[in-house]
Amino acid sequence: MTDALLLEAELAAAITAVAEGGPPLDFDAWARRIFAHQFERNAPYRTVCERRGVTPAVVARLEDVPAVPTAAFRHLELTCGPPEAVFRTSGTTSGPAARGSHLVPNLALYRASALAAFSRFVLPDGARPSCVLLLPSVAHRPESSLVRMCAWVGEMLGRDAEWFVGDRGLEIERLLEGLGERERSGEAVLVAGPTVIFADLFEACRTRGRAFRLGPGSRVMDTGGAKGLRRPLSRAGFFRECWAHLGVAGYSCVNEFGMTELCSQRYDSAFADRFHGRNLAPRRLLAPPWLRTRVLDPDTLATVLPGATGLLCHHDLANAGSVSVVLTEDLGRTVGDDGIEIVGRVAGAMPRGCGLLLAELGPA
Amino acid sequence: MSPHAVAKGAALLAQIGAATRARTRLAGRPLSETVVALGAAAARWCEDAELTRALPALGRFSPAMVAALLPLVGEALDPAAMTELVERELGPGAAARPAPIDVALVAHVLASNVPALALPAIALACLAGAAVVVKSGRDDPLSASAFQRALAAVDPELAATVVTVYWPGGDPVHEEILLATADVAVLTGSEPALASLARRVRGRLVTHGPRLSVAAVGRDAREETERVADALALDVALYEQRGCLSPRAVYVETGGRLAPRDFAERLAAALDTLAERLPPAPASVEERAAARLLRTGAEWAPGTAVMAGPGGTVVYDDDVAFRPTTAARSLRVHPIRSLDTLPALLPSAQIECVGLAGRDPQALVPALRERGVSRLCPPGRMQRPPLTWPRGQQAPLGALLGHPGTPRCEVET
Repeated sequence: MTDALLLEAELAAAITAVAEGGPPLDFDAWARRIFAHQFERNAPYRTVCERRGVTPAVVARLEDVPAVPTAAFRHLELTCGPPEAVFRTSGTTSGPAARGSHLVPNLALYRASALAAFSRFVLPDGARPSCVLLLPSVAHRPESSLVRMCAWVGEMLGRDAEWFVGDRGLEIERLLEGLGERERSGEAVLVAGPTVIFADLFEACRTRGRAFRLGPGSRVMDTGGAKGLRRPLSRAGFFRECWAHLGVAGYSCVNEFGMTELCSQRYDSAFADRFHGRNLAPRRLLAPPWLRTRVLDPDTLATVLPGATGLLCHHDLANAGSVSVVLTEDLGRTVGDDGIEIVGRVAGAMPRGCGLLLAELGPA
Repeated sequence: MSPHAVAKGAALLAQIGAATRARTRLAGRPLSETVVALGAAAARWCEDAELTRALPALGRFSPAMVAALLPLVGEALDPAAMTELVERELGPGAAARPAPIDVALVAHVLASNVPALALPAIALACLAGAAVVVKSGRDDPLSASAFQRALAAVDPELAATVVTVYWPGGDPVHEEILLATADVAVLTGSEPALASLARRVRGRLVTHGPRLSVAAVGRDAREETERVADALALDVALYEQRGCLSPRAVYVETGGRLAPRDFAERLAAALDTLAERLPPAPASVEERAAARLLRTGAEWAPGTAVMAGPGGTVVYDDDVAFRPTTAARSLRVHPIRSLDTLPALLPSAQIECVGLAGRDPQALVPALRERGVSRLCPPGRMQRPPLTWPRGQQAPLGALLGHPGTPRCEVET
């Protein structure tokens, strides 16, 4: 194993240890180590850092580590070593050249981060649900980081897993049949996928007059929000539909916020808050301890006051193999001491996200 | 429907009824009188103190910008230009004859992105012989009523054919009346807004969705090149680049007096200079974020250079693909070997106007018309469209009268 992979393996072990109740991560120390690692091995990143006069030796604060805009993933190979996997952003309207690529040298680190965060926020009760995945399989979409994550979830955290999006899109009849079987078994079910595919499921339930009451402990994980939706669906409306068609209450619906460029994800707070006996309000997106997000003033790139809207900039230690500080095209704000809320996307930002995944696969 | 909604609807219906009756009283009068009245009203409108005072806050413009914009809007209602328009579209001698009688009522639903869209809307409807209802956009509920006041001061009979209304957000009762009673509905706005309104239109529908503009500088611009950069800076800055006539990219032919990259620097400097005369409006966090992402994105992209200053952001970009900027006062400058290849670079049905210098425009007209471009003009005039502008490639009066003609692309010199 090379030095580069050793650091990533060490971090993966540390993340797993945190997830299992081990000692907390020293975020700052890891962040500095990782910046030095990336500065040394990631040539395009080093070029920009040097142009700005920022080196590991002179970084006084983590805020000084240069952030990489997501647009850079469209032009540059930002990796610290030969990639074990290449994940590509979704988006069809601007052609393949407009899609970003995240080159990941060590999938084990992504896997450790993804599984630990998923367990923490979606399965805090230790449940092992039957996984109904409203997604294509890894064989169909090897370049989707979301699909890869869900494959690991099904394999490691679920009782079983089944994929319901094929070459021609959502296989609705098979899905309805699968949900019916699981309803009859009374087992806990995890239904996971892009919000837009949930909308198609709800529509199919409505037109066919179907409604499921999934077993106790069932839950929903959706991602992507309104992107790609054919008709508006508010968050409250999504909760109502989940209850009406799946029998899953709103507090058991967990929204995931992930990006192809990140190996860590944020999750809606409600399910974990409920499990830990905390107040469910305000709902916010929580991160695992190895992911921090700053909200930046667009002019100065300084952190804004709590609650003010700005550009979201993520510092993801699990991105050790590429670049850890990523400036997004998302506007957001902090909520409480530990959460954020996505307010919207900057005008003119490239369409992207798993909401567009179905469009790439063909008709539903 | 609540009694309040019924009362509101009845009031609007009464206003519309009065306007259409007023129209019939103008049946015999020559269009030249309408032309004179509209021109005089535009001149008065430009001096409207209340409008000058209120528009900066409403429209998020600096007072200096409003002071610069009002005369530009007013000049479009120049009597000579209006006479030319009616003679061209309605036939020789049309100005001396009464207005057409084909269309009784035109309804305009205006967008919010730029102010004073009401003036050409009202003028064209009057010249088409129709009564007109104008529903203003959120950021400028004042221009239409100010023009109606000005018109009432010079020609009360004509002013009686004009109804100006405003309501914030969607109002199903009012919208239903507006869209169902008009012979022609002209809708301007975003695609979702147009889609929502269009399905309720009962008469003929004319839509103007989101459009953009570009500029092109040929190598024959020679000693004019620096002046062209200054003129384009004005086209960018006016209306804070919110309109469909605002350039979002400049294609500069290589081999000219200034290399494309030097042109970009000159343009950036011109924007900075202009900002002293026309200060940028306070930017929202969304607009500032768009500017930031434009700058940082370009910093990481190969073949680009960023020139950002207090007057805006210019990105020099080797890649000729058209990627419109969204930040305020920003645009990309691309090198191009030959302007002959420009039309093929532009997306179809998305570009309204091309500001062109250093090149005979006629040679480019057929290909640009094919791409949906409606207007070619010199830099510095992009934001000064005459009333004859065939917006959306349609004849301005013909679109209202039901004979928009073949797609048009006009050249202004």
